[in-house]
Amino acid sequence: MTLSHPKRPALLRLDDRNPLVPYLYLLPHAVLFLIFIVFPIGFGIFVSLHRWNLLSDQQVFVGLDHYRSLFTPGSPEARFFWKTLLNTILFVVITVPLLIACAIGLALLLHKPIWGRGFFRTVFFLPTILAVSIMGLLWKWMFENGSGLINVILDQLPLLDTVPFLTTVGWAWVPIIVGTLWWTVGFNMVLYSAALAAVPQAYYDAAQLDGAGRWAQFRHVTWPMLTPVTIFTAVTSTIASFQLFGQSHVITAGGPLRSTQSVMMYITEEAFTNFQFSSAAAMSMVFGLALLLISVFQFRLLLRDTGRGAD
Amino acid sequence: MATVARSGRTARVTTRSRRRLPRGISRFLTLSILALLFLAPIYWMASTSLKPESDTVARPVQWIPENPTLENYRDILASPTASFLRWTWNSLFTSVCFSLLTVLLGVLTAYPLARMKFPGRQVWFWTLLASMMVPGIIFLIPHYLMMIRFNWIDTYNALIWPGVPGAFGVFLMRQFLVSIPRELEEAARLDGANSLQILCYVLLPFLVAPMAALALFSFMACWNNYVWPLFVVHGEMQTLPVAITTFSSRYWTAYGKLMAGTAIASLPVLVAFLLAQPYFIKGMSLTGLKDD
Repeated sequence: MTLSHPKRPALLRLDDRNPLVPYLYLLPHAVLFLIFIVFPIGFGIFVSLHRWNLLSDQQVFVGLDHYRSLFTPGSPEARFFWKTLLNTILFVVITVPLLIACAIGLALLLHKPIWGRGFFRTVFFLPTILAVSIMGLLWKWMFENGSGLINVILDQLPLLDTVPFLTTVGWAWVPIIVGTLWWTVGFNMVLYSAALAAVPQAYYDAAQLDGAGRWAQFRHVTWPMLTPVTIFTAVTSTIASFQLFGQSHVITAGGPLRSTQSVMMYITEEAFTNFQFSSAAAMSMVFGLALLLISVFQFRLLLRDTGRGAD
Repeated sequence: MATVARSGRTARVTTRSRRRLPRGISRFLTLSILALLFLAPIYWMASTSLKPESDTVARPVQWIPENPTLENYRDILASPTASFLRWTWNSLFTSVCFSLLTVLLGVLTAYPLARMKFPGRQVWFWTLLASMMVPGIIFLIPHYLMMIRFNWIDTYNALIWPGVPGAFGVFLMRQFLVSIPRELEEAARLDGANSLQILCYVLLPFLVAPMAALALFSFMACWNNYVWPLFVVHGEMQTLPVAITTFSSRYWTAYGKLMAGTAIASLPVLVAFLLAQPYFIKGMSLTGLKDD
């Protein structure tokens, strides 16, 4: 404190009165932020406008060619990009409502005190801590065509036949979706449990006086009170599901016939197998922008619904 | 589901349900069945890993291994192509570094944003916030090309640094810092403390819980990361969760060994979770709910 000379100009002061102090705290993070967040965004756009060649120092500028071919029907990039994007959308449309509904279900089941509640909560939350590869291997083995547990059980049940899940178009989604549900529902459940605990009991008592049944209570008390969490889980689950990668990569390797290949998998294939980094960068930009728009749109949609629900 | 949960309450009202099973029994049974289903894949992994190879596909199914053996574990731990110890170390080292750096930078950056006034504060805060909206896929290709240029392919640096400046930690720390009463800080300032002393002695004690939660979740995020390590590190340098899939493509039909490998790879996380279980859920409500 006593180090600073009173006549020293403000910027050279060695104490907190130096106006540069706040910036010093920001500096370490800001440097990394500029290198690894700001620069890559621009660099990604730059790469997507060239034909990037790892072996060359001179990169050929091709303008919007990679974007154009994505929107040209018939080009292989366009065919696989849109096909895998549709696969991903299918996954999102099935998974997100299930993730929300099952999470609410589990949270409601665990809402009132019950013997072993802590144990159940731990069990349902447990899979969320596993790596996607572990979860994928577990469910791949469960759904194995010949000797997987699911098929062994199907085989023993009368009237049911085994299903070669991993190699049948359509059925191949089942292990991926079941695995994803098992893997992530516990996370949403904990969010819903916390929200349920915050709903005042008086609301239910009032609803009961009005003669509301169980469903009416859920529809008019619980559900509206849960809306903030539902917005949060819907947005985060949608974004996470759109970035489907590990589940398909481990369980089906995108097969059969690319039917479970996600758009993220296709982008990485284009980059790291075909070495078309520029084309992959262009796809990342298009897909990333779509993701951004979806999250903004979904947020506004759900907010509007909240407004209506409150009437 | 809703019906079951509400049954406790409505039992008081309707006479019909009074004749049913004691309150909560049906709910308890539902929960038990669900818990069994949730545990089935993990039990099946453990059970398969303890069977000799011929028993893994035996019919009828051996729910409990009839000839329990540790030979699968012995074989893969001795295998020259599977370096489980090295992979575990890679994951542990990079996750610890990542998590410490995230917490350190989070606190340092959040401090002036939350407690000081200076030109550009709002702009920088909103820039950081906006960066959280950018989907991760945007960074994959440029980051990879940068790693080549930095000569960071197959190094720990590649696993640690690109993710560190993510703004979530900053945002989380800022929210907690903002809520600490200003009087405490002013009292310390009158006593002659400088800004770093105020941070360390006055503010940090309030941040212990959120810092621990942030460290835990950064650690988990780094440990479980899949896409990035899959492409930037190979062979000996791989992280455990990624290495287990390359391992699996070699052993896919040897289910016993495969599940032994999976069990080894999931064990550190499972044990850590069971030991620190209350903190996980407490940390989640601290971090997850605060940012909605």
